[in-house]
Amino acid sequence: MQALRLIFEFFKVSTQAEMAHRANFFIRFLNAILNLATGVLSLTVIFNQVESIKGWDMPSAMALLGVYLLLAALRGLFIGPSLESVAGMDGEIWQGTFDFTLLRPVDKQFLVSFRHWRVLMLFDLCLALGVLGYAIHLMQAELTLLAVMGFIITLIAGAALLYAALLAFSALVFWNSGFLFTWIINDLFQLARYPVELYPGWLRLVLTWIIPVGLMTTIPAQALSGKLSWQWMILTLLFTIGALIGASWLFRQGLKKYTSASS
Amino acid sequence: MAEPIITVKNLTKVYRVPERAPGLSASIRGLFKPKFQDVEAVTDINFTIRPGEMVGLIGPNGAGKTTTLKMLSGLLYPTGGEAKVSGYTPWDRKAEYLQRISMVMGNRSAMNWDIPPLDSFRVLSKIYKVPQDQYQRTLDELITLLDMEALLKKPVRNLSLGERMKCELVAGLLYQPDVLFLDEPTLGLDVAMQRRLRIFLKQYNQQHQVSVILTSHYMADVSALCERVMLIHHGRLIFDGALQELADKLAPFKLVKLQFTTPPTNLEGFLTQFPSVEYLPSENGHHILRIARSDVPKVTAEILSNLPVADLSVEDPPIEAVIDQIYEEGKV
Repeated sequence: MQALRLIFEFFKVSTQAEMAHRANFFIRFLNAILNLATGVLSLTVIFNQVESIKGWDMPSAMALLGVYLLLAALRGLFIGPSLESVAGMDGEIWQGTFDFTLLRPVDKQFLVSFRHWRVLMLFDLCLALGVLGYAIHLMQAELTLLAVMGFIITLIAGAALLYAALLAFSALVFWNSGFLFTWIINDLFQLARYPVELYPGWLRLVLTWIIPVGLMTTIPAQALSGKLSWQWMILTLLFTIGALIGASWLFRQGLKKYTSASS
Repeated sequence: MAEPIITVKNLTKVYRVPERAPGLSASIRGLFKPKFQDVEAVTDINFTIRPGEMVGLIGPNGAGKTTTLKMLSGLLYPTGGEAKVSGYTPWDRKAEYLQRISMVMGNRSAMNWDIPPLDSFRVLSKIYKVPQDQYQRTLDELITLLDMEALLKKPVRNLSLGERMKCELVAGLLYQPDVLFLDEPTLGLDVAMQRRLRIFLKQYNQQHQVSVILTSHYMADVSALCERVMLIHHGRLIFDGALQELADKLAPFKLVKLQFTTPPTNLEGFLTQFPSVEYLPSENGHHILRIARSDVPKVTAEILSNLPVADLSVEDPPIEAVIDQIYEEGKV
């Protein structure tokens, strides 16, 4: 309950702060539309030429794009801004204001993960839901209740995986305070726009098990199109739980290493 | 006597810092084969503080004051020794402990700069689970004491340094902590604002019996607020006692200022009979004598009966001068 209350407060305050900069509003809107347009346009171009690529047809590729946009929106909505505020040259650790975060009587991982919201990313979230809705509309005939449930579960797992990956990379800042390590994930996450099957074998392995951006989007999209086996589903869930525990451990180790900036 | 609220035993902190030689080639070498050096920031310090006590932690830059405060607030793990604050080991960072302490830093802001302070205060009250009525009462009290009603609705970014510091103090005291660590709270403030904050801290301490450790480079802060000072130098605690005692110990003399109705013909000649008296250059028509404390009554009596004195005052040397002397010499 306390956690929800705090998230609500953080959301409210972030909204107030964001509203102070009106220009952001238009830029964000433009960015969201552009992101959507390039995604949808490239899919239309490709599937005008071919029926399917490696088992992915237009509706399932559209579902994948929807999942990608949804996760990107979630990342932009709070995971990214919260975690990135800690790292980098203007980040809290470098500046020394992380002291105040450590002094709060609240779980530090929670505080670091939910503190900053970029409320305008709700645009992107709506557009992503629109794309998903369109994908579902395209595959309506073949959609089963089981597929929808599988989709919801794996989508949550995908979001949790993205969070774990960003948390783990953010935690590295405790070992080198000037670096913004999350850019590695941000760049690689672009690859999650497309099904992992499209990439060569070695890259597929990297994107599935090492920096699992492939698992984040491909698995939920497969679940929605009814192409996901239960073995893969369980494997994904176990992997997600492992990644969350691992990232949280790394973060806690980092906290112990924190030496605070000099006065 | 009340049980101490803070107990520190053999507290030590050694930092491992990278060592970098100047020049590009050394920087490149450092990239592949970094060298580190151990720096002792705090060495084996011991002290206790009673509930409600206000203690000044003084020392030159890099003496270990902030490191000590950071260990006591739980921000840093010590290399050795132990500490108990309000019954807790600070670096365990237990929520119950953090609920009882506060740290306000003059060079760092706990406020969100994009929104008015009132909103930041509200979020803090939720973080510290302060009941709504208590929050309102505490806030009203702090706002009145600090006279800051007008600041509450301006974004923090638009406040002056002094106004922002008032906000930092409110943010630090909203949840009524038992222990307050103040790290240079008056840093960079003008004299009037420094005075205002000192009055506030004194009043707040009297009303709430909060225990305070204060570090400051302004001796005026320390002498106005703290009867007891701890002097730290090169990471070691070299004095712990009353501020006056420190001054007496270090400056075993007083300054006697004199003004005469008619200028005495041979003042310096007259003074040669007192070997402990030193004649200092006169200031704005005042003659200043530096006299050993024990000789002050005898010398002033002699002066009053033999010279045409219009005004005489006996003063302690300025505390700044005393402290400078310790910083230079590194010992008490």
